[in-house]
Amino acid sequence: MKKSSIFGLVVIAIAIAVIISVYSNSSTYGTFNDAKQTNGELHIVGHLDKKKELFYDATKNANYFSFYMTDNKGAECKIVFPGTKPQDFERSEQIVLTGQMLGKEFHASSILMKCPSKYTNDKVETTEFKAKQASI
Amino acid sequence: MNIAFNGEHLLPGHLGQFFIVLAFGSALLSCISYYFATTSTDKFDKSWHNLGRIGFYANTVSVVGIGVCLFYIIFNHLFEYYYAWEHSSRALPVYYIVSCFWEGQEGSFWLWAFWQAVLGNILVWRAKSWEKPVMTVLMLAQTLLASMLLGVEIFGYRIGTSPFILLREALNLKESTPIFNSNPEYYKNYLKYVTDGNGLNPLLQNYWMVIHPPTLFLGFASMVVPFSYAIAGLWQKRYKEWIQPAISYSLFAVMVLGTGIIMGSFWAYESLTFGGFWAWDPVENASLIPWLVLVGALHVMIVYKNTGHSYITATILVLTSFILVLYASFLTRSGILGDSSVHAFTDAGMFWHLVADVVLFLILSISLLAIRWKELPTTTKDEETYSREFWMFVGAIFLALSCFHLVIVTSIPVWNAMFGTKIAPPTDPIRHYNIIQASFAVVITFLTGFTQFMKYKKTDVTRFFITTLIYLVFAALITALVIYVTGVYKLHLVFILIMVGAIYSILANAKIFAEALKGKVKLAGSAVAHIGFGLIMVGALISAGTSKVISQNTTGEQYNADFVAAKNDPRENILMYKNTPVKMGKYTVTYIGDSVSAPNHYFKVDYKVIDTVTGKTTEEFVLRPNSQANRKMGLVSSPDTKHYLFSDLYTHVNMTNVLTADDDAQAAGHDEADDATKYDPPVVYTLAIGDTIPFREGYALLKSVSKVDHIQNIPLASDDVAIGANLQVVSHGKTYDAQPIYIIKNGGVYDFPHKIDELGLKFRFSKVIPAKNKFEITFFQQPESQRKYIVMRAIQFPYINFLWSGTIIMVIGILLSIFRRNKELKTV
Repeated sequence: MKKSSIFGLVVIAIAIAVIISVYSNSSTYGTFNDAKQTNGELHIVGHLDKKKELFYDATKNANYFSFYMTDNKGAECKIVFPGTKPQDFERSEQIVLTGQMLGKEFHASSILMKCPSKYTNDKVETTEFKAKQASI
Repeated sequence: MNIAFNGEHLLPGHLGQFFIVLAFGSALLSCISYYFATTSTDKFDKSWHNLGRIGFYANTVSVVGIGVCLFYIIFNHLFEYYYAWEHSSRALPVYYIVSCFWEGQEGSFWLWAFWQAVLGNILVWRAKSWEKPVMTVLMLAQTLLASMLLGVEIFGYRIGTSPFILLREALNLKESTPIFNSNPEYYKNYLKYVTDGNGLNPLLQNYWMVIHPPTLFLGFASMVVPFSYAIAGLWQKRYKEWIQPAISYSLFAVMVLGTGIIMGSFWAYESLTFGGFWAWDPVENASLIPWLVLVGALHVMIVYKNTGHSYITATILVLTSFILVLYASFLTRSGILGDSSVHAFTDAGMFWHLVADVVLFLILSISLLAIRWKELPTTTKDEETYSREFWMFVGAIFLALSCFHLVIVTSIPVWNAMFGTKIAPPTDPIRHYNIIQASFAVVITFLTGFTQFMKYKKTDVTRFFITTLIYLVFAALITALVIYVTGVYKLHLVFILIMVGAIYSILANAKIFAEALKGKVKLAGSAVAHIGFGLIMVGALISAGTSKVISQNTTGEQYNADFVAAKNDPRENILMYKNTPVKMGKYTVTYIGDSVSAPNHYFKVDYKVIDTVTGKTTEEFVLRPNSQANRKMGLVSSPDTKHYLFSDLYTHVNMTNVLTADDDAQAAGHDEADDATKYDPPVVYTLAIGDTIPFREGYALLKSVSKVDHIQNIPLASDDVAIGANLQVVSHGKTYDAQPIYIIKNGGVYDFPHKIDELGLKFRFSKVIPAKNKFEITFFQQPESQRKYIVMRAIQFPYINFLWSGTIIMVIGILLSIFRRNKELKTV
């Protein structure tokens, strides 16, 4: 067998190994219900429940932030995040959490949030409005 | 009905839009003309060629014109244009106005088109016989770029987005704002009410943001040149000739894009708060993907030039590298990464346009390759196992594999969109990327090492093994020392292997460099570049692998049950009250104050190293991490870093009660009213001279009581009595004076309290008890939570300077190679 064919086979083997390792490392998007049934970490997409309490008191604990999130299926759960409260969290429209259930709480290891003001235009209008009233 | 709006400046926009259409039209004309000039069989007919050049020059002029119009609009704060309103504001200094240019998609497309035009000019000047076919391809790319800016609606589908769209059109001002809808007079004069723009994202207000995007886009843009040469080579059947000139351009692209990527990571390190220089964010990966492939392509191109092997691999990799640039721009601009990246642009309605761009060039490449496949020069002979070309080829393939992995993971949202699956990225992506990419890096660092001891075609095997082994032993010894000193030995085995590989590569290339100094000057470039690459690996590995969070919250007392239950507990953030020192590692850290330089609010954080034996301060410096209360984005923080030669100390503020996003207009001022709620319930002390009041963070000493002659603007009559209690307040080694005053005036009793805001204290001189010669002081203290604090994180990055200096060395090395290749180049 030619050396290049052997090398070709090695490359294919590595490529397959890469795909398998990515696949086995990848997680899934799920709901709180899914999270209760598995032990592993997963991603949950949802939005902040703005009516319930957001708890962060740096003077008590600078690394404890909790809030309530509703997932896309409508289930709600208390979230605990061991870190500071992300800036502008109240304004977030959508949140993607990574983490797992611990008892009745979902412990997030990362939070990715989206703020509407950055992405759509309607929200920006209100700030524009303020400037207008001031000048009348 | 047309409304005549007052105060709008429509000319620059119309002119700009005209230039956009002209840029598109002229690029298309130039592309077509160059195509016919290439295929024309009549050697003396220069008309197509001339037309192609005219189109190209017109394109260059109009691209510059677009830039000038856009700059005029932003510079003059013409907020009737959406782009200016969205990305700039009046308060911005001039040099950041440049950054506004590329905050939006349109501006960055423009930047790309601008660089392509510049490169086109170089090609028209230098490419000679290659000009016609190469420019055909380049102008095709330019046509597509210009189409991204068109913003013209055709059959109800808007093509591209123009930077010259008006605010009232972009936002549909009339319908979205009730008051404009109800009152046409207001609507006509809407500009009066739009007084300022949204401003530039504070994170982009950094000098690196002025130069990083242009560098990066020059890198992206220059990748079109090797691609164009490859296509031209296949098209014109000049299979062997295209590689030589393409090598120089590839070197240039590798150098510039590499610099751009590292600049980006330096910016992230200096001004973002994720605490590092690389986070494997999809946007970062998107710029790395084409770079890796082009580096691979470059190596096999050199193999082909020297030995005639690997032609097909070289061609495929060059073609792939440019398609990956387009794919990367699809990933970052189409909004598809929405769920997995914080940095990506959102969809500006160009999803299918971007897809079409990728597909067009992909089909062009594949079909040309397929048509010419049988004619491509191949070698029937296998490479020798002990030959440089074989192992360079292996290295190139491994670079491509590493890129393959990045593409697979970064594109997970694309697979989901294509196959309707719901796969999420790995839960710990950084670890995942680190381990797999590190495995590739091990192979690549070793290859850049031992391949240096090989020769093209045939190598003396025994000599090769002896030299390789000697250097390997040396590398292992040095590595053992390095990992022991830096603590890298605690990491995963694969990282230690990279360390061996990188050090081995540095040593082997240092040998080549030494030989180059003795006379084989030709080899200097690659040796220097490889040394630089090795240093980058060493620096990245040590600083990322052994970075230490020193702001660890070790007190433990603040943890509730909830928190202890959390198993992945970073405890990286620490709360610091103003003027209360906290011990972190060897530093005694104190938040000592603030300074404001609008729009930034700087927190002064004092670091002291105190000798435990003598108690003397051996080192002291102040870091000033800042935050900006931004109307649009809330509180945005930037770190400050103390740079030592061998390590960096990085500090950033996560949270504070000193300023909030709402009060960026008015900071302090109104308090008296809510004074009562700001303090804990008062404590009354009855003191004699010399007595003290102890409090949480110090004590107050009643030194004396004296008569006061005048109190601010209150006139004192002769029978009025005013006495002051002279208090000396000591807290954390600092002394303050307080003098609350007690008055008897017109038979009534009053008192004037004295506040020490810095400590959150208030004293009232509330009573005099002459019989006992004692005085009553009412003491107010703000509760802990009312006191000013910051929550900060401090990280130590050891040896990060290897990373930055490695980059500079690599750039120098590539520059040397460019000079060398250009000397060899004899273009016809």
